[in-house]
Amino acid sequence: MSIMVKTEKKVTLIIDGQKITVPDTITILEAAQKAGIRIPTLCYHPALAAIGSCRICIVEIEGVDRPATACNTEALEGMKVTTRSERLFDLRREVIKMILAHHPLNCSPCPENGDCELQDLAYEYDLAAMDFNDYHIQTEGFPWKPFSTPILDYHPRRCILCGRCVKVCSEIRGLGAITMSGSGAKAVIQPVMADEQTPSLCISCGECMRVCPVNAIEETMGGIKGKPWETKRVQTTCGYCGVGCQLDLNVVNNQVVGVTTRDDVGVNKGRLCSKGRFGYTFIHSEDRLRRPLVRNEEGKLEETTWTRALMKVAREFKRIKKEHGPDSLGGLSSARCTNEENYLFQRLIRQVFGTNNVDHCARL
Amino acid sequence: MRKVILGTWQDKIIDNRHKEKHLINDEFPELEDFEGGNRIKAFVGWDGFFIFDLDVPVIDMMRAYVEKVQEESCGYCTPCRVGTKIVADKLRDMTNGLGREEDLRTIKRLARVIRDTSMCELGHTSMTALLKIMELMPKEFEEAIKNRRMMRKGAYRAIATAPCIEACPAHLDIPSYIDAIRGGNYYESLAIIARKNPLAGICGRVCVRPCEFVCRRAELDEPISIKYLKRFVNDQILSYAAARSKKAETVPVRSDKQVAVIGAGPCGMTAAFYLKQKGFSVEVFEELNEPGGMSAVGIPDYRLPREVIQAEVRRIMETGVKFTYGMRIGSDKTLEDLKGKYDAVLIAIGAHKSKDVGMQGEQEKPEGYISGVKFLRDLNTLHHIGEFDPPGGTHLVVVGGGNVAMDCARSAKRLGYSKVSVIYRRTEKEMPADEEEIREAKHEGVEFNFLTNPTGMKIKDGKVTGLTCIQMELGEPDQSGRRRPIEIKGSDFHLDCDILIPAIGQAVDLSLFTQNFPVKTTKWGTVVVDEETMMTDQNGVFAGGDCVSGPKALIDAMSQGLHVAHCIDQYLGGQPMNMPENERMFRLIKAMKLPQAPVNRVGNKPRCNLESRPIEERIMDFDEIEGGYKPKEAIREAERCLRCYRIAMFVTEE
Repeated sequence: MSIMVKTEKKVTLIIDGQKITVPDTITILEAAQKAGIRIPTLCYHPALAAIGSCRICIVEIEGVDRPATACNTEALEGMKVTTRSERLFDLRREVIKMILAHHPLNCSPCPENGDCELQDLAYEYDLAAMDFNDYHIQTEGFPWKPFSTPILDYHPRRCILCGRCVKVCSEIRGLGAITMSGSGAKAVIQPVMADEQTPSLCISCGECMRVCPVNAIEETMGGIKGKPWETKRVQTTCGYCGVGCQLDLNVVNNQVVGVTTRDDVGVNKGRLCSKGRFGYTFIHSEDRLRRPLVRNEEGKLEETTWTRALMKVAREFKRIKKEHGPDSLGGLSSARCTNEENYLFQRLIRQVFGTNNVDHCARL
Repeated sequence: MRKVILGTWQDKIIDNRHKEKHLINDEFPELEDFEGGNRIKAFVGWDGFFIFDLDVPVIDMMRAYVEKVQEESCGYCTPCRVGTKIVADKLRDMTNGLGREEDLRTIKRLARVIRDTSMCELGHTSMTALLKIMELMPKEFEEAIKNRRMMRKGAYRAIATAPCIEACPAHLDIPSYIDAIRGGNYYESLAIIARKNPLAGICGRVCVRPCEFVCRRAELDEPISIKYLKRFVNDQILSYAAARSKKAETVPVRSDKQVAVIGAGPCGMTAAFYLKQKGFSVEVFEELNEPGGMSAVGIPDYRLPREVIQAEVRRIMETGVKFTYGMRIGSDKTLEDLKGKYDAVLIAIGAHKSKDVGMQGEQEKPEGYISGVKFLRDLNTLHHIGEFDPPGGTHLVVVGGGNVAMDCARSAKRLGYSKVSVIYRRTEKEMPADEEEIREAKHEGVEFNFLTNPTGMKIKDGKVTGLTCIQMELGEPDQSGRRRPIEIKGSDFHLDCDILIPAIGQAVDLSLFTQNFPVKTTKWGTVVVDEETMMTDQNGVFAGGDCVSGPKALIDAMSQGLHVAHCIDQYLGGQPMNMPENERMFRLIKAMKLPQAPVNRVGNKPRCNLESRPIEERIMDFDEIEGGYKPKEAIREAERCLRCYRIAMFVTEE
């Protein structure tokens, strides 16, 4: 746990016969990762505290009858851990079977197809639809319910209840806008309602969608998403503010169809706000200004070139300054510009226009 | 009472199926009827099962059990969420005559996976009985598959319980509210507490916490700080609501029936809250000028600030309960008046009269002799307004070993007496006071004289000047299981003191019962009530709390308040009055005294302790000693909970 007091103490444990010395604040999973031993996981997400809900990372610990989850069991001095055995393989396989018994197996239309952690596990543990012949689970109907924000849609049947979305909302966003509710096989993720009057705490950041491993939380924006192998991911800097978050524009057939992020890239480390994540549909908007327009003598807008347009603007500014004085002009710049652009802008207003009437939208 | 025909618990198996009557092995518990005339035919639990009557439909019984598991499963981990659903579906198919040969193998395989890989004890224990029954009664299952017939259904009563829930007198759903804290849902957590306990702030500070003493985490490191977690959610929500001046919702009156509650103590307030929730008009009459009863005037502010009590009462008032202070029933108004005006009356007057030690000179009531209850009451009602005049002197002696004695001694230290001693006739081990209280009293400089009993007082000019005491030794254990103290002849000695505070017990002030309105009482001076209905011998007059049980812990009084509210509701609704089914099941489980299986898990995270103020600072005033948890600490503490949920199910005749 990150909140534990950090000490310099070290512990030595044995994982799969390999002697490993690690700080005493880390878990078995982290210790194994350090030693290059792979333990399969599903609900575990490196950016979040351990959840321990999927039960796939189970390992055997000498002296304890029941397997323990590696992701949330702390590494202790002298522990002897086995990560691979026939029993563990069988147990993990059964657990993945249980998850799949509740999850639609029509992978081909799913946009996650080919980039899905659950699919990878099913392949690794050699599972297919025929393994569920004797699991004719009588699924309850899940009526559609609005999610915490209209930008997102929740699909209870796809959901594997790993709990990442709930964790990211409370841990990273600090909101706790969604929670798990219902019991047993009827459990679903639901927006938190403190009471009838209070609206949902959700700020539509879409972090829950980002960490969802199975596309159970999907955005309602944009069109068809395209499959991972036909999607080109173009890394760029978000243009909405000066923070400089890194994001990947997902491009299919030269059309931007969505935004994804990578956990280890940029200052944002995969996180985005609702503008950065969902504010891309303007790119292909019909209403978008593509060329400069200048009003003609009849008052109608006409396409023109940049040179002509800028010439006109400069001419008019000069005229106004001459006729009415510099203080009749003013400048308002945008948060979507960089620091340098904003600096140049105020130089222009102060030194060229000769007025101090300059301001910035973020100050309003 | 019936004997177990076939049963197993942990490693023990008892099979009396083919035995002569006299050979029957009766190592296992016998169970009484569920309620009058309704026999218990079987019990299915977390470490095994007992069958008292072979007539039970075994497969349907297990279907009901697994369906209950599925209903209680929180949905967090996969095996318990999905696995138990598949098993329940398979068993249901079997009872409908649709079972197949391979289902038995599937059930067994899944059951083992659920047992081995679930997150909490609910999953770990949910399949034990099923696996054992499939092993011990294989024929039943084989026949079900061969015959393919619809099966008879039985009558089942099931409950989700845990050691801490069983230990709590009010049976609070402790793992569930801790779970809500872990998820950061403080609202939900407080709502879960409020189902059984409307005074979370009070309870979270001064509860004697029976739950923590049975917490199974203690086997790994230390028990969960259940009390402080309760305090944490309460304080969080309260400060949130205060910052936004949010009020509790007023409950609309849904019934024309009216209830009078005498006493605004823990029992009275709890009962008033739940009666109001049920839609009755409720009025509380309190003799003192402030709410809280013994929790307000018996517990000093450094342990339970009066603002906390007042905040709790404000919340209850906001739901629509009326409070009248400074009204003593018995002198300002009589019980008869109330009975005439209200449809039901609840007596929850507590035990505010002090008991005498039984030594020389007590009857004279000399200066400097003041009972513990009176000392604390004067201190608590007068000190905060600056009108308390402590008895003069330097050496103060408290007689007794309970929490009241500790409160007196620690308060005296704060009032500035240079020497404060406690006299107790047994040793520290036998002291009924909370360990923590004793430890803190010692830290604060209270002196302890164990194995000492006062026999007489030295009085000079109507003022206490000293005590004669006698040394004791411990003899054989008495009924309470503690060793009885015996006087050592000729060991008398003298002790100088200026103030003597006896705090050896309290009695009920029965002066509100008059000749015109008699209510039956016991020879110990407590009110007699029917155990199931909580009604006194007067129709429509109920009683609860310390005035029924004698002085007991806060949570005991609150659990009685909860129970009596249920009874009054049934009485006013004209329903037959009986105990809630869950309460009956808790009592049966307790009576069985089932052995606890050891915790077989990895864990090494000691509990998160509260920061308390330094001793030099805190003995100068009556401000609260400990600050509560911070959110991070609380979540970390909540993460330690093992969730020892388990399902108990009784198969009854009807």
